[in-house]
Formats: sequence, structure tokens, C-alpha cells
Amino acid sequence: MTRILTFVREPLIIALVLIAALLYLGEMLSPGFASGGQVLRLLIVASLLGIVAAGQNVVILGGREGIDLSVGGVVSLSAIIAGNVMNGADGGIVPAILACLAAGAFFGLLNGLGVTLLRIPPLVMTLGMLGVLQGLLVVIRMGIPSGRAAPGLSGFVTQPFFFGIPGIIWLWIAIGVLMAFMLHRTVFGHRIYAIGSNEHAAYMAGVPVRLMRIALFMISGMFAAIAGMCLLGYSGSSFANVGEQYTLSSIIAVVFGGTSLAGGKGGYTGTMAGAILLVILQSILTTVNIDESGRQMVFGATLLLLMMFYGRGRAMRA
Amino acid sequence: MSKLKLSGVSKAYGATLALRRGDLEVMAGEVHVLMGSNGSGKSTLCKIIAGSVRPDAGKILIDNRPITITGPRSARGHGIGIFYQELSLAAHRSVEENICLAALPIKSHLFVDRALLKQRAARYIRLFENVAGEGFSADALVGNLRPDQRQLVEIMKALASEAPILIFDEPTSALDRAQVDRFFEILRDLKRQDRGIIFISHRMDEIKAVGDRVTIIRDGETITTLNLAETDAASVIRLMVGGSGDMPASQSSAPAVVDLADGTAMIVHDLSGVGFRNVSFDVAKGEILGFGGLHGQGQSALLRAIFGAGSISSGEVLIGDSRLDASSPRDAIRRGCAYVSGDRGRDGVISGRPIIENVTPIHYLRDRLMIARPSKLRDKVAPALESMHTKFASLFHPISSLSGGNQQKVIIARWLIDRPDVLLLDDPTKGIDLSAKADLFALIRQLAAEGLGILLYSSEDAELLGNANRILVFNGGSVSRELTGADRTRYNLYQAAYEAA
Repeated sequence: MTRILTFVREPLIIALVLIAALLYLGEMLSPGFASGGQVLRLLIVASLLGIVAAGQNVVILGGREGIDLSVGGVVSLSAIIAGNVMNGADGGIVPAILACLAAGAFFGLLNGLGVTLLRIPPLVMTLGMLGVLQGLLVVIRMGIPSGRAAPGLSGFVTQPFFFGIPGIIWLWIAIGVLMAFMLHRTVFGHRIYAIGSNEHAAYMAGVPVRLMRIALFMISGMFAAIAGMCLLGYSGSSFANVGEQYTLSSIIAVVFGGTSLAGGKGGYTGTMAGAILLVILQSILTTVNIDESGRQMVFGATLLLLMMFYGRGRAMRA
Repeated sequence: MSKLKLSGVSKAYGATLALRRGDLEVMAGEVHVLMGSNGSGKSTLCKIIAGSVRPDAGKILIDNRPITITGPRSARGHGIGIFYQELSLAAHRSVEENICLAALPIKSHLFVDRALLKQRAARYIRLFENVAGEGFSADALVGNLRPDQRQLVEIMKALASEAPILIFDEPTSALDRAQVDRFFEILRDLKRQDRGIIFISHRMDEIKAVGDRVTIIRDGETITTLNLAETDAASVIRLMVGGSGDMPASQSSAPAVVDLADGTAMIVHDLSGVGFRNVSFDVAKGEILGFGGLHGQGQSALLRAIFGAGSISSGEVLIGDSRLDASSPRDAIRRGCAYVSGDRGRDGVISGRPIIENVTPIHYLRDRLMIARPSKLRDKVAPALESMHTKFASLFHPISSLSGGNQQKVIIARWLIDRPDVLLLDDPTKGIDLSAKADLFALIRQLAAEGLGILLYSSEDAELLGNANRILVFNGGSVSRELTGADRTRYNLYQAAYEAA
């Protein structure tokens, strides 16, 4: 009995059950909600969020109050860089990828250096970076939409690519496999958990704690950059605060998936389920015409409810 | 007149008897010294008087009236004030606020009366005028003070309680000579006011200078109370050690001389840093070099500094023929150093992670691995754990599911896959059970036999006497004596430890 209870309390199981329940609820409220095409559209949106959340996840796993609030800014920046580099031409895709990854890595590096060398708490450092990025975006673009996605990119994100499933979903699955491999089968992954669980003990066992932390923020920046490009492909053109919502929702997806905000506990599979859950919830609330403030309340309440259900051991201890 | 009297007080934590039988009588107008080795029960006795521990049995009388102490507040109510060894100060508050923290003067039932607070605090600050040192003032933040100045604030705070009975648990450990002298003048003044003072110190010279009588505790029992004027240091130490003190360490357990043909494993030359100074020694391959002395005399600081986790200001460490100069544990590990701390929770255990991941970090580093293949790692991890009889159900269970002793075995096992050249042991058996201790020492001696150089600091003298080939006794951050051969006795160890530095 206890074993069943423990199993039921696994965040991944809870998230999967909730996903099924919400799909059913959506179908009841608006027939066609759970149809194949609609589910694919939901998965595309979820994969955008999920890719950002992958970076958020490793930063949070690394502990010491690790969090990356700048991801929203990096997503926007990357969408604008990509839009202007490719400007509607397929030939610009590869240079755009390189430019976006470089930008993501650069801002991640700054975050990492601030947190390790200057000892600024991650919350403050990345919040400051978000402000810098938002200001930067306004300065370069004045909030006017600019740059167009290359048709190849748009097709990759929105059109069936393989087995009728768009490329971005395949990309997300690949990232999921890669993340699972990295976290559980590489020395780097084991070290992430080690510094997240007991930073001092990890240091005494020869883990290069500072380098690790810088690397985690760079990974987060690069995932946000990839998501920014894909977001451009999804929406066709980009504007200054296109990625704004990803800061908070990536954190919620990670927490939905059972990763502890205290670090050292959790994984990416749960986060993927968390991202899907969040997107379905958003979609249902839109379907039944609940306005923005109502949606915010439902998100908050759901988050608190899940935290209670996950049990005290996984409580949000920041 | 008897100020405070304890009779037959005892306290057990589970199966461990921390205090078997405590009898103590403190007279009005005396400084009563408590002496006993680490773990003999003197701090338990103090905690009982101060109300932070409730005794299982026994009577407590104040001014010949039986009382019950239910907690720290009640102890204060009965007129007992205590100086805490582990600092109890608020770092972000000023000196004067800290001094008056226990009883802030209030006006209008609500507001702190700043004028009165200043005035009250000034009285105690004035006591240490001219010796408190640079930067010490009533409005300085405690967090910005030097350790000795913080200790002075702690003393002032205890004095400000104006309690008739005062307990000072090692109040002079960070103070300089002039500060100690001033403090002793204050104590003498308190004696004239007929207060009763309990004084704990490990320094013979201080005890002789300020104490009237001494009560000796050994193995949780108060042995006797003596007049300090009629006794000498040697007999006090003899009483603390007990009957078998003069017996040399059993020769069967650790040979006095190691075959030096294998060469030296590590040479430390005139090393100084935070907490230790001018330390020199060398350890041969196959030798266990013990670090003895009272707790916190620089042994841990030295070991951590060698391992790259503390700072070295001068001197050098040679491993083989080259300088070690480890700037981080990572460096030291690569050069063949290993370090096991007794503070598992802070330095060792990666809590919440599987046992296997708690064993592999050193292997990752030394073998420059990138990929962690469980099947391959299992073949390396399992033998290392089994060599110490570690009990575990599965390598993939979290380390927190193990007992303290088994956790420590896991931490040690991480150093056994790729053998180090020098093993630094920093009180490695703290808080683990006897059978785990026996397993650990069997392993340590086997490692020595295989040619590792081992530095062993232990707060338990029996462990040093039973395992170390030589013992360096630390006092005040430097080596005060080296015990070799038949000199390795409990008595000599105590005497060297308790001598004035």
C-alpha cells in the first residue's frame, strides 16, 4: 500500500495522469480539443517551452538557489537575431543558428561569471540580466516587429516532417534523450547532482564547482537561444518581448515535473511532462474564455496544489 | 557558603551514558575549575546547570535550596549565567546591543531605551579598556570584529547577566596575554563579590593562576575535588588519565619504527597558515603519523590546508620530490592526496544521491572519465565497499539510507579505487559505532602496510596510541612535542596537550 502511494506520488506519474485528465476535460468542454491535429499543435507549443525548460532545469538542479530568470530575454533576443540574420532566406539558417547559440552562450557566460566570481545570488544576477536584455531589445528594435523566418525554419516547426510529426517535436524528443543521457550516464551529469546536493562535499571530492556552474548557465542560455529560433519559425516574425512569458513558465514546468528548487533532485523527463501539462492547462483556459488574470490565478493555484500533492520531501525550498 | 551544589546528576543519550555521576559544589567567592578530557562529560554537566539539557537523575541545590531547572530561561531566573564557547552573538548587531541582548532595557513597555542600553553596555566595555584592540567600540558591528574581540563581547555578555553563578566554558581560547590578564582581574573582583564561578580551561598555567579548587571528571564521573594550592599539574593530569596512564601503547598494535627503506611519502617544511604555524614533519611510506592534542589546536586546519582547502601563508609541502602547492582539493587529488573528514555531513556525503555516485567522484577525476557506465563502475565500486565490510542493500539506494558508520565507509571507499600516495585523516571516526571504527582502523593499517603515508588526527587518544607509529602533539597551532617509541603513553599525551603553549 505504501509502495503504491509512493508510486502515485511520483511527480511524473501525477503529471501524466493530469495530462490525460485535462485532455479529457478539454474534449468535454470543446469537442475536437483532443483531436490529432490539435494535440500536435499543443505539442509544438509545449516543445518550445520544454526546450527553454531544459536549460532552466540544469541550472536549478545545480543548486545554491540556482535559477535563470534571463531565459525570457534570451529567447526574445535570439528570435530577433535569427529573424534578421536569415531574413526570409533558407541560406541564412545555418549562420542564424550559430549566431543565436553564440549569443545565448555569451549571456549565459555573463550570468555564470556574475554568480561565481562576483558571488551575486542567481536570482538577482539573472533578473538584472533580464533587465539588460529587455532594454537592449528595445534599443535595437524599438518594439517594432522585424526580421522574417526562413521558409525552411517555419516548415521545420509547423509542418509534418517525419511520420507526420513536425521537426520541432522530433528535436524535442532528441533533446529529451540527450538530457537523460547527460544527467544519468555522464560524469558531467553526476557532478550536476553532486554540486546540487552538497556543494562543499563535491568541492572536497575534486569537482570544479565554479566551472560547472558557469557551464550550467551557458547551457541554459543556449537552450533558450534554440527555443528563440524555433519560436521565430512558429510565429513567422519576431518582436521585442516575444519570449517574455518563458521566464516564469519554464520555472513552473520544471517544478511541475518534480525538480526541487533547492537543487540536486529531479530530472528532465518530469519537466517534459510538466511543460505539456502547462500548455494544455493554458489551452483549456483559453478555450473557455477565461481572461488573463483568471488564468494567472489558476496557474498559481495549480502550482500550490501540486506542491502539496508531491509531498513535503519535494517541497519548494529555495 | 555553598552557592551551587549538584549531587548524583546523570544523563544518558540512548545507550550512551554522557554523564554517569556528577557531584559538584561551588562555594561563594571561588573560582571552581572543571577538568576532563574531550568527551569526559564536562560540557554535559555545564549544559545541565545552564538548563539546555535536563538530567535523568540527581539533585541541584542553589544556596542550599533544592531547585528544578526546566530550561535556559529558568536557569537564568535562578541566577545562572553562562559564557558560550560556540559563539552566540548576532553578527549584524552592534557590540552594545549584543551585550544587552538577554535583557534589553525597555521604555513605555514597547521601545528599546537606547540611552540606558548605551549606559549599561558601557559599564562592561570599560572593563576591557585598552586591551580590546583596534576597531573595538560600542557601536562596532560584531561581524566586523576579530575573533578575540568577539570572544570579549561574549564575555561581556555573560558578565552583563550579573548572575550570582557564572559558567565560563573555555573563555580564553582566542584571547591574547593582556586580555587574559585583564579577564582574570575581573574574575578576582567577582570573587570578592561572593559570586560562584565555574571555569573550564585546558591550560594548566591559567588554571593555576585563577582557580581555587578543581574538580576532575573522567569517563562521565566526577573523580575528586582538590585544592589547587595543594596540588601540582602532574597529579591533576594523572587523575584525568586514570590508573593505566603510564602504560606504553601496546606494542603489538603499532610498531614504533617503520622500515624507512621505501622512502618518504610527504615532507612538510615550516608550514604556516590560518590556525597553525611553523609545522615541520615528514611521513614515510607505510607510516601512520598521529596528530594529537586538544581539539582545535591546528590539526584540522593543517590537514585541510595541505589538501588545498585552506590557506597556506608560508612554508612548503613536498610530495615525492616535487612541491604540492595545492590550490584546491582538485589539485591535491590529482597529485595523489586523499582527505577524509569526520564531518561527513559537510565534507563527505552527497546526500540524496545513490551510494555508487558517492563512491565514484574521485575515480572520475583521476581516470579523466566522461561517460559513467553503471555496469563498468559497479565492478570497481563493489570491491572497494566490500573491503571494509560495508553493509548495503543496493548500490543504487540513496546513501542516506545507511547508518553513520556505513556512510563513512562509503566516503572512504571513494579513495580506494585509484590509490592515493598520502592519506589525510581528519578525525575520521567521529560519531560512528565501535565495530565500524574497528573496520576503519583495520583498513587504515592495511593501507599503511601497502605503502601509503598516513596522517591521522584523532580526538580520541586511544585511537592514536593504538595505531600511530609516531605522535605529534599540537598546542596552540604548532607541534609542542613528538612522542615516539615507548614514550607514546596516555600520560605523556595529556601532559604535552595540557601544557601552556
